[in-house]
Amino acid sequence: MTLRPAAAETATGTAGPTVAPPAKTPARRRLHHRPGHRKSSRARSQAWAAYLFLAPWFIGLFVITLGPMIASLYLSFTDYSLLAPAHWVGTDNYDKLFTADNRYMNSLKVTTTYVFVSVPLQLAFALGLALALDKGLRGLSFYRSIFYLPSLLGGSVAISILWRKIFGVDGIVNTFLGWFGYEGQGWVTSPDTALWTLIILHVWTFGAPMVIFLAGLRQIPQNLYEAARVDGAGRLRQFRSITLPLLTPIIFFNAVLEVIKSFQSFTQSFVVSGGNGGPVDSTLFYTLYLYIKGFKNYEMGYAAAMAWVLLLIIGALTAVNFLMSRFWVFYGDDN
Amino acid sequence: MKRILAAAAVTAIALSATACGSGDDDSGGKTKIVFSYWGSDSRQKLTESAIAAFEQKNPTIDVEGDFSDWDSYYEKLATKTAAGDAPDVMSIEIRGLAEYAGRGVLAELNGKVDTAGLDQGVLKAGQVGGKQYAIPTGVNAFPMIVNKKTLEKYGEKAPDDKTWTWDDYIAMSQKVTEKSGGDVWGTEYNENPAFLQIFAAQRGEQYYADGKVALSEQTIKDWWALIKKIIDTKAGPGADEMLETGTKPDQALVATNKSAFGSWWSNQLDTLTKGSGQELDLLRMPKAPGATTSGMFLQPAMYYTISSKSEESAAAGKFVDFLVNDPDAGAILLSDRGLPTNAKVVTAIKGKLSPADQKVLAFMDAIKGDLSPISIPPKGAMEMEDILKRATDSVLFGKASPDQAAKTFLSEADSALSQ
Amino acid sequence: MATTTRRPANRRTPVLFRPASRLTKHVLLIAFGLFMLYPLLWMISSSVKPEDVIFREPGLIPGEVTGQNYADGWGALKHSFGYYLWNSAVITSLAVVGNLLACSLAAYAFARLEFPLKKLWFAIMLVSIMLPHHVTVVPQYIAFSKIDWINTIWPIVVPKFLATDAFFIFLMVQFIRTLPRELDEAAAIDGAGHLRTFLQVVMPLCVPALATTAIFTFIWTWNDFFTQNLYLTNSDNLTAPVALRQFLDSSGDSSWGPMFAMSIISLGPIFGFFLAGQKYLVRGMATTGLK
Repeated sequence: MTLRPAAAETATGTAGPTVAPPAKTPARRRLHHRPGHRKSSRARSQAWAAYLFLAPWFIGLFVITLGPMIASLYLSFTDYSLLAPAHWVGTDNYDKLFTADNRYMNSLKVTTTYVFVSVPLQLAFALGLALALDKGLRGLSFYRSIFYLPSLLGGSVAISILWRKIFGVDGIVNTFLGWFGYEGQGWVTSPDTALWTLIILHVWTFGAPMVIFLAGLRQIPQNLYEAARVDGAGRLRQFRSITLPLLTPIIFFNAVLEVIKSFQSFTQSFVVSGGNGGPVDSTLFYTLYLYIKGFKNYEMGYAAAMAWVLLLIIGALTAVNFLMSRFWVFYGDDN
Repeated sequence: MKRILAAAAVTAIALSATACGSGDDDSGGKTKIVFSYWGSDSRQKLTESAIAAFEQKNPTIDVEGDFSDWDSYYEKLATKTAAGDAPDVMSIEIRGLAEYAGRGVLAELNGKVDTAGLDQGVLKAGQVGGKQYAIPTGVNAFPMIVNKKTLEKYGEKAPDDKTWTWDDYIAMSQKVTEKSGGDVWGTEYNENPAFLQIFAAQRGEQYYADGKVALSEQTIKDWWALIKKIIDTKAGPGADEMLETGTKPDQALVATNKSAFGSWWSNQLDTLTKGSGQELDLLRMPKAPGATTSGMFLQPAMYYTISSKSEESAAAGKFVDFLVNDPDAGAILLSDRGLPTNAKVVTAIKGKLSPADQKVLAFMDAIKGDLSPISIPPKGAMEMEDILKRATDSVLFGKASPDQAAKTFLSEADSALSQ
Repeated sequence: MATTTRRPANRRTPVLFRPASRLTKHVLLIAFGLFMLYPLLWMISSSVKPEDVIFREPGLIPGEVTGQNYADGWGALKHSFGYYLWNSAVITSLAVVGNLLACSLAAYAFARLEFPLKKLWFAIMLVSIMLPHHVTVVPQYIAFSKIDWINTIWPIVVPKFLATDAFFIFLMVQFIRTLPRELDEAAAIDGAGHLRTFLQVVMPLCVPALATTAIFTFIWTWNDFFTQNLYLTNSDNLTAPVALRQFLDSSGDSSWGPMFAMSIISLGPIFGFFLAGQKYLVRGMATTGLK
């Protein structure tokens, strides 16, 4: 409790540099060692502390997470069928993926489209609403809850029916189009539009990133805005100079995680397409295809190979994301 | 590389499984068996009471029901099998039979279950490579369902199902659509392989033979042409509308009184009737001109099987025997898993069946003399329904020409079945 | 609050215009909300229709209102639906506690402490969420089955106490890193060790992140059909999402009415938790820094 005044002071202290646009802040060290005196003994005690803090995670990593991961890597070089023992087949699975499987290439295309269209849209939506619902209006917590509700429904089994109530032949979209004299179609069940309804479904469940953005907005010290107002900065300027830079770690987090999660999207296409990625493979997501291969066609070895290729793809994209973040993400712990 | 990975995988798993517990906990000297099945809450209730009846008759055996919804059933079953935890008694349907039997998951049932009282023709559908691996729970046919009231309302008379042709069917449906002014479709259709199987059987072709697809390219294309004609003449709705309800009997167009005809499995008549609230009847499928058979066939609704790893296969056999042969079990389960094939059971439960099921029973009796043989899908056939669906949809949505699609279908089928 | 007294200084918005714009904002938000909620409203309306007309009369306004689906759904399975809700509540609460503890500890280490191979460990943590779980589920199941954990809640709960949900570690790392480091340094000068700094300085300032973690863990665990369906197979152990699927039968007779009704009931706890949790989204440094 004695620390509170200090906190206020230092927070104000950082106000100066943060008001400057983020681009002008110097290139920063991220996870680097901070130079200090009495380095070795302090560093050692810090390392010990770190390992203690990380102990549960280390146990989980070695006992629960890594084992199955390595097992799946091994299985990706076998013909494992789940029902019978595995036999080593070398790189056959990987060869087949890239040379002889048109459906695989199609699933990659479908998923990439889905990720690159829906993630930016969803994040823009979530950030916009988080800003609108942050302050300055009565009943905000009511609105927030309302806008979060779709995300609660998003993964439910009922969504297959509910989505047809919107985009089906008798859905409200067609009713709406009918008023203007257009004859609609079954948007969910037409190969040219099915994927787009899933993209809309993804954007519709923007609740999670919205909440994270809101939490991030709450983390911004209000006195920065005070100081900015005293300096005569307008709303837009405050947004550009305070809100946006201080929110960049959260924007970055949401971007990284949404890319990872969307590449692994499964439930929505599974539930809406009835488990086959149809019509004509137009909603065949990567993980849905993987699931079909592993659990419906009993080619778990092949599915494991698909999983590891996906890991490489997501890993590469995440690495790019991290590299780019040096240029636009601002951390409060940088000096 | 191979060795290192394998060793790492083994140690990793061994590490996580530090305390290797013993799996068998004998609860008071009782033999415990696990029975896995899928379905909805109503089936769960019936099954639980059948289990209770069995336990009463066999107080030393304890049966645990392992129930799951259909969408996740096989995934769960496969995972358990992989872990050596396969349930003692497993429900399986026809597409999975060759897969599971072929990979050594299922035990041979000779001597474990008394099959003498069952319909021997249907029983053959539980054999793989001449050995009995599975006992059919009951049978279904794939008939045309008709709402006669809707037909009459739009001035059509119910057809004579012994003589009607595909053209009659389409023409009649088209008139219904036309006269209703678009309120009602003449017919809905279904991409179910059973439909194609009947269509092919009328031309003397089998779906599968010698572990391969035996359909000719022309037959597949003609079948698509038939569906296209339904769409083009407005006898039935477009493909997008059809896909919305195509596999769900409770939302089917016949179940919501939006069409006069529809083709469904016979055990779905009850659901369809409940949805529609009107009288629905069963008809033989229309024939191709000059066909000598209607192509109708009986297919096991599902099977009971026993795991080859089961340590209690005697108790498991007893349980399966009870389910298919004991009139008490029949009186509880009724037609939930298809109509029983044990004549003794059928007589015992006849009076208890719902009016819809009575109709199914009468219908099956009527077509008895005109049945095509059942063709059991070979190993790899789990994928076949989706392969057909994909090819069919690509034709209906104009994504591929029938020629291309038929070739794709046959080559994809070949590679799926050759694994 | 100081902010309100400063308001007039903002000369950019004409005073007369403001109430109107606020009204427009409300109208827009409500209209948008209704649009977003249409599927939910349809589900609510269907849940009070007699079951056999749900698909025959698909309109939004029910012609006849009945509580039958709720009564049927509540008693349709082996136990009353409340039993399954309770099972879910137990698992979910434990998961929340586990994630809050384990993930915040790990996050503090990654965000604030220096140790060898930190970058590598951080990368491994991220990689561990990149592999689709469908291929690790079988080896994992085999391991849990070997130690006889099938049909217990441990395969679902124990991993949470071991911080296997790396998502939340990363989330908290990002939040902690938005905090100025001077705070810890001030604490260190006061003689606080890492544990005290963590408990008394960093955690209180991370309340929004903790609330986010709690909310998401609750919701995601509550809705996690896949794991629960696999590990809890005994009909006495089922949780709400698994029980919900039992109303559906894709090859036959689904009980849509009871399914909608019970879906709405099982939305209750997660929505309630969200309402309670989101209150803590407001108390971050925003207030502590000013008072």
